[in-house]
Amino acid sequence: MRVINAQNLTRDYGSGKGIFDVSIQVEKGEVFGFLGPNGAGKTTTIRHLMGFIKPKSGSAQIDGLDCWKQRDEIQRRLGYIPGEISFFDDMTGNEFLKFISAYRNIDKENRIQEMLERFELNPKGKIKKMSKGMKQKLGIVSAFMHAPDILILDEPTSGLDPLMQNRFIELIAEEKKKGKTILLSSHIFEEVERTCDRIGIIRNGKLVTVDSVETLRKRHMRTYTVHLDSPDLAEDFARDFGGVRDGNQVKVAAKQSLETIFMNYYGGDKNA
Amino acid sequence: MLNMTLYQREMKGSLKMLLIFSAIISMYVTIIIRMYDPEMMATLDNFYEVMPELMASVGMSAGATSLIGFMISYLYGFILLVFPMVFCILRGNGLIAKYTDKGSMALLLAAPTKRRTIALTQMSVLLSGILLIIIFATGLEVAIAETSFPGELVLSELIKLNAALLCLHLFIGSICFLASCIFSDSKYSIAFGAGAPALMYILQMLANAGEKAAVIKHFTFFTLFDANGITAGKSSAIMGTLALLIGAVILYTTGIIVFCRKDLHI
Repeated sequence: MRVINAQNLTRDYGSGKGIFDVSIQVEKGEVFGFLGPNGAGKTTTIRHLMGFIKPKSGSAQIDGLDCWKQRDEIQRRLGYIPGEISFFDDMTGNEFLKFISAYRNIDKENRIQEMLERFELNPKGKIKKMSKGMKQKLGIVSAFMHAPDILILDEPTSGLDPLMQNRFIELIAEEKKKGKTILLSSHIFEEVERTCDRIGIIRNGKLVTVDSVETLRKRHMRTYTVHLDSPDLAEDFARDFGGVRDGNQVKVAAKQSLETIFMNYYGGDKNA
Repeated sequence: MLNMTLYQREMKGSLKMLLIFSAIISMYVTIIIRMYDPEMMATLDNFYEVMPELMASVGMSAGATSLIGFMISYLYGFILLVFPMVFCILRGNGLIAKYTDKGSMALLLAAPTKRRTIALTQMSVLLSGILLIIIFATGLEVAIAETSFPGELVLSELIKLNAALLCLHLFIGSICFLASCIFSDSKYSIAFGAGAPALMYILQMLANAGEKAAVIKHFTFFTLFDANGITAGKSSAIMGTLALLIGAVILYTTGIIVFCRKDLHI
């Protein structure tokens, strides 16, 4: 079942900015990675899905509902993390969470406490005084607190330290197991690679490729088999280089750097 | 139709401003009503003789005989026009455009709440604020007048007068609200929401100042608020008030429609 369905979305802001003929389909229970550099059109596409802007041409549906006309109904089952979160500065973190749960009219039994613990966030202080990472955590908590079935996450880990980024990736994996449908935008290839089933790469407003992670990995990863003199040496080698040992042999994979992969698509050299 | 959680939050946000404006209004209303005194009237009339244009430009005219006439001259030309107007301007911008500009509107929209509900709620917050200021001013005027000059103030006249004043401010509020809905940038929302009423008020001042400039009065909506006409029960004044009210309904409705249909780059 197709949960998120964007068809031929076009929004021309002039001078090459905007999105052009972007189509994305995300199946139920699938995690879709939306990868692209800053300004490629990720947020513009997401704004269409959220019903913030009306498609100039093309259309978008979530759960079969029109993203512009039925945006409030869609929101019932949707969790959203904006790319650039702006809170109400006068509130404390606690007041904000209380406000949003009352505003959304969600049950007393919600995931706030669980999420706060998971991300080690103390929401007592004024939001204005919070660091970027804390604000991001607060955004994550408010997107997940009503246990939505569909998640639209716009660069959700920006500002988080590596430990918290890992926690977030674990969270996504758990949500995926529960059958949630997730659209995750990012400019970090590793993050998308670790969580997503399929990846769409967008560049200058155009979707350049949509592929399964497996295909992309195969295309962008080279594996080497190294023979060593003894199993002990092989064990050490495997540990140091993150390989898999098999007797005296160690298999190591060399990932291409993010830049290289981007250059493949962005430089137009598809044979690399 | 309204989101009560949002309404409560925004009313709390209005509170500080309401207190400040109530304090300012209290001070002026108290001082000015207490000044009602035939001897003092003579002094003010002297002022008027010395600089009639200046006094008239802020709506003060000589020869007010009754207490309500005195109040109209000295309260309803400047103080009770400008201070609630400043409230409308600040709050009007803060309720929609500020959130759109800053992006926190995304938090309000990322919930099963219709845009119409958000706009209606924010509009109600503005209306409630205006209503509270006018009710407060009315109560205060009655209290001060009754303690200082028992029996001098005709209550029905005051109520008619303040009902018209309410309509005027609802209209001013609707201009600010519309600006807030149209512009996604606080800068422009304030420029239009403050600029339009302020310009109209300046035109009103010019129109009051001199006979030659009186023609200007046709270009400002403040003319529709005819305080003396309202207390005298003049039908033209009632029509003016009605026009303000209808205008307000149209502008609020337009604002809500614009907000529901516009693209929000948040």
